[in-house]
Amino acid sequence: MRLDFSIIWGYLPMFGSALLVTLKVTFCSLFFALLLSIPLSLCKISNIRPLLWFADFYTSVFRGVPILVQVFMTYFGIPIATGVKMTAFTAGVVVFSMNSAAYISESMRGGIRAIDRGQYEAAMALGVRYPAMMKDIILPQAVKSVLPSLVNEFIGLLKNTTLIASIGLVDILRVGQLIQAATYRAFEPFFVISVFYYVLVMVLSWFGKALEKRVNKSDRH
Amino acid sequence: MIDIRNLYKNFGVLPVLRGVSLTVNDGEIVSIIGPSGSGKSTLLRSINLLEPPTYGEIWVDGKIITPPDPYLHFEVIRASRTYRHMQREGWDDDAALIREIKARDLLKNHEGQKYHTLLKEITQHSFVDANVVREKIGMVFQHFNLFPHMTVLQNMIYAPTHVKKIPMDQAVEKARALLDNVGMLDKIDVYPGTLSGGQKQRVAIARTLCMDPEAVLFDEPTSALDPEMVKEVLDVIKRLATTGITMILVTHEMGFAREVSDRICFLDEGTVLEDAPPDIFFSTPKSERARTFLEKVL
Ligand SMILES: Nc1ncnc2c1ncn2[C@@H]1O[C@H](COP(=O)(O)OP(=O)(O)OP(=O)(O)O)[C@@H](O)[C@H]1O
Ligand SMILES: [Mg+2]
Repeated sequence: MRLDFSIIWGYLPMFGSALLVTLKVTFCSLFFALLLSIPLSLCKISNIRPLLWFADFYTSVFRGVPILVQVFMTYFGIPIATGVKMTAFTAGVVVFSMNSAAYISESMRGGIRAIDRGQYEAAMALGVRYPAMMKDIILPQAVKSVLPSLVNEFIGLLKNTTLIASIGLVDILRVGQLIQAATYRAFEPFFVISVFYYVLVMVLSWFGKALEKRVNKSDRH
Repeated sequence: MIDIRNLYKNFGVLPVLRGVSLTVNDGEIVSIIGPSGSGKSTLLRSINLLEPPTYGEIWVDGKIITPPDPYLHFEVIRASRTYRHMQREGWDDDAALIREIKARDLLKNHEGQKYHTLLKEITQHSFVDANVVREKIGMVFQHFNLFPHMTVLQNMIYAPTHVKKIPMDQAVEKARALLDNVGMLDKIDVYPGTLSGGQKQRVAIARTLCMDPEAVLFDEPTSALDPEMVKEVLDVIKRLATTGITMILVTHEMGFAREVSDRICFLDEGTVLEDAPPDIFFSTPKSERARTFLEKVL
């Protein structure tokens, strides 16, 4: 069979808005994931048992249930059980951010644990209160050390957003499915989509490396 | 004034401090020396509550900074149910009864509302929060513990601006003056990672002084340094000693301790065996333990 990429041209505007959807879901999810991961990781290092149990339970749920099941649960299941209706976009952002928060808080736990006791002691000895100590002394150092895994999580998040195609949101993948349905061609659209994602991920990785370099400038000798 | 009263510290079942009492007056310089593992760091870290004591009390400037210790207050013991119970059982010697309660640690499980109310009454008017103490008592660590993600200047002004809420320009001005004092002004904008050990420790000392502490605790400030850097740090501490600030030093530098200290406190297995002026301690130590220790280190 002859490949014919010209069929893509007509769908480019659609790809454009779909790319926007993908990016919007990704960035919104990342934003809320980071926000949510802070209290979660604080729970995970807390010595208040119930907080610890809660955070561990939270993580195990999001690890244990396949993410597509989480998407269906949130979009189809929860509205029926609770009556709270959600758009596909909201459902996607809710699932992806809660999911990523579970993973990010897990690596943050490791990052915080790896920080020398002396840092806490120096802060305490200067009279710095716990919230300020975490915010200005401990978390910045922890974030720095988990930055590589944050970038990975971000990339994973971007790729996971393809799952929202399954609840009808028109992201890049969904456009491919639409093209396939309309033209009975599969290679061309999915090839183009692969390139889209590949380029996006490469850009993100590059951006992540640049960021790492920037924050590591204090380590230079 | 720092007043340590009958301080005990256990790590699990390991007793590290076993009834340490020590008073350090304003402007005094006290060196704590003793064998490794004798509890020197633990004692020092108790003073600014980095290690909460198991029993005993610490008072700073007439205010209690630890939870009150019932065993140090007869009126609390006498008000306890245990006391009355033992009295009924025929203990008629009051002093012996109290000794027995202390020895058997019978007040450990609290005695209800009355006990707490009494303890509160005794100490409430003077109780202060740990952070207030820490603003008054600075600490310099063996491993410097500078914040690696902040420049030298940021390290210096963080606590003054965030904890004491001193205006930024004043904090910077003070930081510059202090850095100049320790000969580190040219490094004001570098990150600690680029400094040598001696330089880091000088910055750490300056950082502590930025908070205008009344007293500074030093925990082996030169033990992590290469030999050629020890002197530059000791010189800074020596100069600080002449400013009238209160200092408590844990050190293995005997010559230095002898030179700067008003008193030497010899700690062994969690108890203070000697507490004497340096000339007396180094020439005529009372205890056998101190003698053997000095023979080894001098
Ligand atoms: N956080 C802790 N948990 C358990 N044990 C501890 C802890 N901190 C100290 N110890 C123990 O308490 C004892 C006294 O420790 P400390 O650090 O006070 O001794 P030191 O006199 O400062 O010794 P060195 O000269 O080696 O610094 C040691 O046996 C040590 O192992
Ligand atoms: Mg020590």
